[in-house]
Amino acid sequence: MARNRNDILQGTLALLVLRSLAVAGPMHGYAITSHIQLVSADLLRVEEGSLYPALHRMEQDGWLRSTWGVTEKNREARFYSITARGRKQLAEEQASWSRLTEGVSRVLRYT
Amino acid sequence: MAWHHRILNILRSNRVSRDIQREVDFHIAERVDDLVAGGMSEAEARRAARRQFGNEAARREDTRRMDIAEWVQSVAGDARYALRALLHSPVFAVVTIASLGLGIGANTTIFTLLDAVVLRPLAVTRPTELAYVGMADSAEASSEVNGSVYFTNPLWEQVRDRQTAFSAITAFGESSFDLADGGEARRIQGSFVSGDFFRTFGVSAAAGRLLTRADDVRGCTGSTVLSYRFWEREYGATPDAVGSVIRLNGHPFEIAGIAGAAFRGPDVGRESDVYLPICALAVIRGNSNQLNARSSWWLRVIGRTAPDVDVRQASARMAAIARAAFEETIPPQWAVNDQRDYASRTLIARPAERGFSDVREQYRTALMALMAGVALILLIACANVANLLLSRAEARHRELAIRLAIGAGRGRLLRQLVTESMVLAVAGAVLGLFVAQVGTTALVALIATPGPGGAVSLDLSLNWRLLAFTILAATVTVVLCGLLPAWRATRVSAQSAMKAQARGVIEGHTRFRLGKSLVVAQVALSLVLVVAAGFLVGTLNNLSRINPGFDADGVLLATVDLSRAGIPREGLDASHQRILERVRTLPGVAAASSSDLTPVGRSSWNDEIIIDGFTPTTPMDAVTWFNEVSEGYFATMRTRLLGGRDFSSADVPGGEKVAIVNDAWGRKFFGNRSPIGQQFRVRAGAGVSAPFIIVGVVENSKYRSLREDVEPIAYVASSQSASPGPRRILEVRAQGSPAAIVPLLRNVLREFSPAITVDFETLSGQLATSLQRERMLAVLSAIFGSVALALAVLGLYGVTSYSVARRRAELGVRIALGAVRARVVRLVLGEVGVVVAIGLVIGAIGARLASTQVAPFLYGTQATDPMVYLGAAFVLASVALLAGLIPAWRAARVDPIEALREQ
Repeated sequence: MARNRNDILQGTLALLVLRSLAVAGPMHGYAITSHIQLVSADLLRVEEGSLYPALHRMEQDGWLRSTWGVTEKNREARFYSITARGRKQLAEEQASWSRLTEGVSRVLRYT
Repeated sequence: MAWHHRILNILRSNRVSRDIQREVDFHIAERVDDLVAGGMSEAEARRAARRQFGNEAARREDTRRMDIAEWVQSVAGDARYALRALLHSPVFAVVTIASLGLGIGANTTIFTLLDAVVLRPLAVTRPTELAYVGMADSAEASSEVNGSVYFTNPLWEQVRDRQTAFSAITAFGESSFDLADGGEARRIQGSFVSGDFFRTFGVSAAAGRLLTRADDVRGCTGSTVLSYRFWEREYGATPDAVGSVIRLNGHPFEIAGIAGAAFRGPDVGRESDVYLPICALAVIRGNSNQLNARSSWWLRVIGRTAPDVDVRQASARMAAIARAAFEETIPPQWAVNDQRDYASRTLIARPAERGFSDVREQYRTALMALMAGVALILLIACANVANLLLSRAEARHRELAIRLAIGAGRGRLLRQLVTESMVLAVAGAVLGLFVAQVGTTALVALIATPGPGGAVSLDLSLNWRLLAFTILAATVTVVLCGLLPAWRATRVSAQSAMKAQARGVIEGHTRFRLGKSLVVAQVALSLVLVVAAGFLVGTLNNLSRINPGFDADGVLLATVDLSRAGIPREGLDASHQRILERVRTLPGVAAASSSDLTPVGRSSWNDEIIIDGFTPTTPMDAVTWFNEVSEGYFATMRTRLLGGRDFSSADVPGGEKVAIVNDAWGRKFFGNRSPIGQQFRVRAGAGVSAPFIIVGVVENSKYRSLREDVEPIAYVASSQSASPGPRRILEVRAQGSPAAIVPLLRNVLREFSPAITVDFETLSGQLATSLQRERMLAVLSAIFGSVALALAVLGLYGVTSYSVARRRAELGVRIALGAVRARVVRLVLGEVGVVVAIGLVIGAIGARLASTQVAPFLYGTQATDPMVYLGAAFVLASVALLAGLIPAWRAARVDPIEALREQ
């Protein structure tokens, strides 16, 4: 499969998911992909194949909590919400992301 | 991922996959809705949605990673990989598994025995409720039994009728019976037991019924219960046996039933084949039975405490009835002060969870010492395996580094290496269990007494304790042997290994030092074992080369029992005389005699003597050993007559009583004066015997054991015996083999009467039996010492070869620069020498500390004897030198050109 330019950088998926859930509240998986795509103005697209494994892993790490619920269209869906531990993780990942971008942009600015 | 999540996942794996499926379905449905809303056809939208979801199989794989199944699978993969790797280096695998197998096997063997003999409670219902009853001097009621746990039958009857401490109580006394009706005896082990015996131990019958109180009443005709194993052996476990008749010493007994298979009696190591009620003593022994004898101590007593009574309370309750019980049973023939002491004794109860055991008394410390020895072997084996694993890890250095470099986690590699050791340990444990199975059988044979009734009966079947022990031993081995090399091996830095054959003297150095210290430890530990073997083999050697004061070779012992031949008491001595005369005429007989006891046999006889002018300083001072012998005894035994004369046919019952004493006896009571012509008397109960005139002096000889110091012995003439018994032992010195005499002797006895019973043994066999524990220790310690030596040498060889291989280039350069080959050999051997020397020094200190363990078993050698230490060190050093020579020789033959080209 050819790599899309807007594939999400490895390791940032968790950051995006946590951030989305922290800001927008509990969502199901599909809503998370839509949310990221929307908020990033279509710059980022989550690959569904890796979203669910990631969600499960994050749940087992204790960052997320999930419950089964019903959507407006009356479909059963699993709703994810962020836990306290998840918020801590979010803060850490945000900090390290800032450091990374800061560093990368400094390198790029250097002439 | 946390391991408990994995386990949770496997428990609910179905739910997990169902959940995931539902979630994905939902996602696709939402996507389809959106696409359709965007103007796509439904079918197209569905296809697109699926495509967008990505590779389904990859997703599954990814999602499943949280399954434990995957984890287990990867472990199995590791194990497969390990097996394949081991198959590729068979020598390594064989040496490792053999080392572990020997170590674990030896430990399991000794532990099996230790468990069966020392640790395990009796195989009966709730053994913790059992307590034995013993006697104590009243002054010290709280102290231990004053030597006696044996009761007379009258005393037992008092205890039985008066006690309130136990819900059930029983007495039992061992005996042996003859299954044959005359001729050569077929001995089996038996016990006389009181009515509640089986009830006390909570035994149920395998067939028929067990003895009860109704069977044990005076005047009984006698029913018997067989042990399960005797029933299997003699009757093939057929139910018909119950109700049939068994003849014991010629008397018929009805078989009432069979005891349950698990029950082996209260004596660990000795199992009765038949159980008779105590009252049957009157049937077996006739009028001379001990049912009313007040000074015949032969019964032991065990009770089961009542539910609300603990052993301490039981002891107090026994003490409360003691006075009445003893006062009712005072031996009338005893001296007054002895009677007073007797009446003031008290009774105590002590826990008897593990029963009684002669085997335990005899072998406990020996087994403990052996356990320490095999633990050392396991350590040495571990050091060996660790060393082999280290070398192997080193050889795989590059492989590991590459795997680390391409992203394998260190934990993952560690797991791989530990799995490999685990595979080795499992294989070692399996081999160990096999070794143990063979070893225990051999060991039990080694401690069994040859001849009738000497077999040791132990339950050596695999039990949980043993399994737990083996598993523990294997696990400890893995942890010791596997983790350390694994940890070190994964510490390699990727770069260092990538530098191909990095002329790494530096990073190899630490590993090499570790390997050397392991060998030092091995040498030290094996020195400890070799020194112990030196002491124990030396002891056996000293004891078998000792001059016992008689010549045991070629002497046949025949125990002749006339009790069933219907000879009146007055005729017994004459009959024995006639048999002896007849035996002397047999072809191949050089000399023959008869006696009451044989030296280093199972029985002994001592009495207190009275000599005018000799005042004993302690009660035991005037007690000497006795034997009753026929004329010709000393000539047959080749015990030298130092002065005076032998007994002769002129020494008749009515005449002057004569005695012969040994040199030690004479010196003890008469100093440097000759004892010939002197006289002594023997205290018999409250009275004193007629005087014995000493007519001869013989050289000193061993009486009860080869270990004992010279002891005073007095011999009296059997022709003058005050109470000739039906049983006497013939000593027959054969010109050729003693075995050739056996059939002739059997015929002679049959001619006299078919009802005569006879047991055969050789005097040298009897001596060998007395050295059984020494022989076991010597044989086992020699085996252990050799195994330890072999393992240490293997380790040394491995480490030296490895060092030579690593230094090939350096050695090549040296040779190229003109080093003489002899110098290279010296160089390598020098290194071996240093390792061995350090090991020997440490080992010598360890051996000196450990020698206190073997000190109680030694004879004719001191635990500090420097010769043993030097000898052991010499043996070790020479073998180590040999082990070093091969790699050294290889080092000297390094071709400089080739060695340098490899660089």
